[in-house]
Amino acid sequence: MTSSDLTTPVRLSFRERHESRIRQLRLYAYTFAGDFSSMLGLVLVILFLVLAAFGPWLAPYPEHTTGGFNLAARLQPPSAQHWFGTDEMGSDILSRVIVGARTSLWIGILITGIGAGIGIPLGIIAGYTGGWTRAVIMRFTELFLAVPGLALALAIVAALGPGITNCVIALAIVWWPGYVRLVEAKTLQVREELFVESARSLGARTPWIMWHHILPNCWSPIIVKMSMDMGMAILSAASLGFIGLGARPPAPEWGAMISIARSYMPDWWWYSFFPGAAIFLTVLGFNLLGDGLRDILDPRSREQ
Amino acid sequence: MLSFTLRKLAALVGTMLGIAALTFLITNVAPGDPARLVAGPNATEDMVETIRVENGLDKPITEQFVIYMSDLVRGDLGTSIVSTRPVLDELLRYAPATIELVLVAMALGILVGVPMGMLSAVYRNSWFDHLTRIFSISGVAIPAFWFGILLQLFFAVKLGLLPVSGRLPIVALPPEPITHLLLVDSLLRGQFDTFWTAFKHIIQPAVVLSFPCLASILRVNRAEMVEVLQSDHIVAARAHGLSSSRIVGLYALKNAMLPTLAMIGLRFGWMLGSTVLVETVFDWPGIGLYAVSSALASDFKPVIGVTLLIGFLFIVANTVVDLAYAWIDPRLRNA
Amino acid sequence: MRNLILSAMAGALLAGSFLVSPASAFERTEDGKIIVFAGRQEIPVLDPHVRYDWSTRMVQQAVYDALVKYEGDPAELKPWIAQSWETSEDGKTWTFKLAENAKFHNGDPVNAEAVRYSFERGLKLNKGVAWMLKDFLAPEGVSVVDEHTVKFELKAPYAPFLSFLPWWFIVNPAEVQAHEVDGDYGQAWLAENAAGSGPYKLGRWEPSVLYEMRSVADYWKGWPQGENRPAGVIYRIVREPSAQRASLQRGEVDIAEGLTSDDYVQIANVPGIEIQDHKGMTTFGIKFNTQKGPTADINLRKAIAYAFDYDALVQIYNGAASLETSPIPDAMRGHIDVPGIPRQDLAKAKEYLAKSEHPEGGITLEYVHVAGLEEARRIGLVLLDNLKALNINVEVKAEQWPNMVASGSRVETSPAMTSVYVTPISTDPDAVAYQYHKSSWGQYYAMAFYDNPEVSQMIDQARASTTWDERADLYAKIQTQIVADQPEMFGMLQNRRWAHRDYLKGFQFSPVRFTGEVDLYPLWVDAK
Repeated sequence: MTSSDLTTPVRLSFRERHESRIRQLRLYAYTFAGDFSSMLGLVLVILFLVLAAFGPWLAPYPEHTTGGFNLAARLQPPSAQHWFGTDEMGSDILSRVIVGARTSLWIGILITGIGAGIGIPLGIIAGYTGGWTRAVIMRFTELFLAVPGLALALAIVAALGPGITNCVIALAIVWWPGYVRLVEAKTLQVREELFVESARSLGARTPWIMWHHILPNCWSPIIVKMSMDMGMAILSAASLGFIGLGARPPAPEWGAMISIARSYMPDWWWYSFFPGAAIFLTVLGFNLLGDGLRDILDPRSREQ
Repeated sequence: MLSFTLRKLAALVGTMLGIAALTFLITNVAPGDPARLVAGPNATEDMVETIRVENGLDKPITEQFVIYMSDLVRGDLGTSIVSTRPVLDELLRYAPATIELVLVAMALGILVGVPMGMLSAVYRNSWFDHLTRIFSISGVAIPAFWFGILLQLFFAVKLGLLPVSGRLPIVALPPEPITHLLLVDSLLRGQFDTFWTAFKHIIQPAVVLSFPCLASILRVNRAEMVEVLQSDHIVAARAHGLSSSRIVGLYALKNAMLPTLAMIGLRFGWMLGSTVLVETVFDWPGIGLYAVSSALASDFKPVIGVTLLIGFLFIVANTVVDLAYAWIDPRLRNA
Repeated sequence: MRNLILSAMAGALLAGSFLVSPASAFERTEDGKIIVFAGRQEIPVLDPHVRYDWSTRMVQQAVYDALVKYEGDPAELKPWIAQSWETSEDGKTWTFKLAENAKFHNGDPVNAEAVRYSFERGLKLNKGVAWMLKDFLAPEGVSVVDEHTVKFELKAPYAPFLSFLPWWFIVNPAEVQAHEVDGDYGQAWLAENAAGSGPYKLGRWEPSVLYEMRSVADYWKGWPQGENRPAGVIYRIVREPSAQRASLQRGEVDIAEGLTSDDYVQIANVPGIEIQDHKGMTTFGIKFNTQKGPTADINLRKAIAYAFDYDALVQIYNGAASLETSPIPDAMRGHIDVPGIPRQDLAKAKEYLAKSEHPEGGITLEYVHVAGLEEARRIGLVLLDNLKALNINVEVKAEQWPNMVASGSRVETSPAMTSVYVTPISTDPDAVAYQYHKSSWGQYYAMAFYDNPEVSQMIDQARASTTWDERADLYAKIQTQIVADQPEMFGMLQNRRWAHRDYLKGFQFSPVRFTGEVDLYPLWVDAK
């Protein structure tokens, strides 16, 4: 304690230790902030996250999101009392849309999370090991990629029965192959880099190389894809909800709301309009954000 | 070139069988009982059993799987338990409507997407460019079913310009089939009235379906164009006083071809998948609607059939794109 | 470039607006007027001995005839192919005299052999309508007496026998046999073709799009509207209520079946549109699983029945419904208003709850409804809200019909509460009473797994009895006992509604038909 002060090098502050990192982040932030559509995306996503986090406290009629209703005030147009109007049970649509954000956020996180959780390891293994393992993994992946996700997910949910959980399972099943393909391609690239070669020649074990060299170099495209996928997963879940295979009442889910609301077109247009707009803006937000992230993190892949 | 084509074909057959096995197993994990649906609400247990036996549903699942796969190899997709008709017949009945819709949507995507992409490259960073960027991302973000409903609300209900749904008016007789594509057949038969009504029916679903594809085409074309405009010979050409529009016309179209083609290959399957939604909204009697109604009735052979058909069309489209690429650029033939 | 495209598109749209014809009303063809009926449900298989549901039966009724036919409100059995009939003393032998002028569309006579063949076919296929008669009638029990006389010998007396006959349509044996493949009784062919004698024959048949019927000019039974008979009817699939309504308003269809309750309120004010609103026989109830779980406790069932807000049922249908006063619908013979049938009374509900095994509530019960049935879903939400007062949580769950029926066929898998609509197949009270017989266990309408031996025995007795007074007395007792046992929460009778253009005439309602099903025969268009 007493003498060690002399031998240890001068402690660098956090700022100093990470100087290059910070400089790079600052550049990112600057580029990002200068782009109108990226900022729009960020604002939309933050708004969505705020709604998801504080929805029940923000909703003017929180009881309407858990099964409460008011049959006397059915299908009322937007007004000062009900900004988005009321639905066929007299529930406040604004409240249901706000609280629906949380459902959608969960759906998005789960699907992208499970998809990435399965896809990334498989992709790295396939890309790094090559040979038979790669052939088997990639063949299997291509099989899934050959069928449009929505069609396959429809079949799965129909078999499992409607409901949010089954929806998430079905979409996760069709979601992971995208990550395998992305990560595998990136791994193939990184594998040939000098630092991987040298780690290998120094005797580093394969899992160690995968974890410390391959994975960190795959993060940029993965982050971009995950941001985009958040939106697309929410959209797909809403689509299944629309077909009638999604959430159960009274849980407010945007797609399911529209699937009921479309019977109330055109006179009660607000019923389908606002949940639809919520889906649209959320997905738009995540896509714009992902697009902006791609521009700064991974500019080369932009046109793929 | 021949061996390249053959290799592609072999891979196609393998993938198809794989898809079939996959969908069969996935759809049979759950306990749905279509026989009961078909037998009717009052049917007694032995009546339900009659239907099960007729459809081979009384056998263990492994045996059903073997039967299904061996039938499939012989080109038999099984029978729909609801309609009692062969799935293949039904697919052939519903496919033309879907193919027509997808083709029109694709044409729309190209006709609007290519020029818009080029323009936004020419006027890069202008308000127009920003708008197109948001527009193109909206294309992917907008829920197809919601967009469809909005179009119906506006063009059909409010303005009364277009029909709400369907492929033809109720009483209009479709032209004697040649290609089974209404737009083509009506022209071939010289029935211009029918063509016009069919066109009015297809325009809304096609717009909805084309939107995401249009957005992608727009973006690749913009990127390609930006590169072209920055390339040395264009800068030189401009220095020689060639007008912008000439440059765009001369170089851009040629360059736009490949990325557009690639995009179509990618987006084609996506569009086929989206027909599930678009056809539901617009009552379009195609395979998407067929898949939804079969899925809701737990009638899985048609669902597998549609999945196979969509997968097949998707693979074929991609193979054609690959072949076209290989034809344009021989270096890719060994890839 | 972009402007060019935009203006081209705008131009196309503008041009379109000039070409859109004004509301075109009913459709005309060279032969006359065609009525267009918009409905949501497809007709996958038309074969009268294989399937029936409302849309299928509507077309079956149009292209086929049966020995007798239901008409009117209350529904009455009218002689049709059979001109007259008599029953033997013991109620086991029925003899029918057939109309001599009845003929099939291809000109063949509808004779006793055709009737015999049709019943044999129905019973042997063991599908669709078979359940109605198969326990009492063997294929050999039907015999030809002479060209125009046919005899049925039942295994046991069966009072409701005649009430099922309107749904046994007669097919032309010659035509069916000509299309037989591998001894399939012509099933493959009859799925999309018809061999009948009815007022209409099939025209265009485009599955999932439209089904056309052309009227038979010289229909053997004649046409009630005479020269005004339509040239045909097109049953057009329009899946969305909103699209149905728009098409009806624009005159693209003449009658629509699937509007929402709120649509009816709105469209009632539209000039040129009439609404048919009739009290039906379709009952709505929430079946409790009486054999398993908390709902096996009668006190809990009573508590729920008293906690429910029955007025909300009527409200959900915007007034187009009436509360059930007995398991047997009002329009059926033998119906009585059972005194003391539960209505909302929270004090009583809590009293019963206190007596139950869960005096404090604190349980979660499942409420299952068929996916896509909007009203049933909303009723679930009302239940969820009402039962909060008893501290009972409700999980509202939508199931696809086949899955719901499958899980409801066994006590172990049947949910605590299931919402079920049942349309009795005939006007005989047995059609409802038998749902509460123990032999019905396994059927969707018996998801309550109600077991009261006394009730089962009374049902059997009433079935076999040949005198109406005795039966009426038995049914009164049966109804009272079922209500006392509360195997289900008795809900309401939903009105049958259709919206049609005002020039459509001849609409005849009959409560025995399914929801949506219309007798197309008397319809006609009153316009120049």
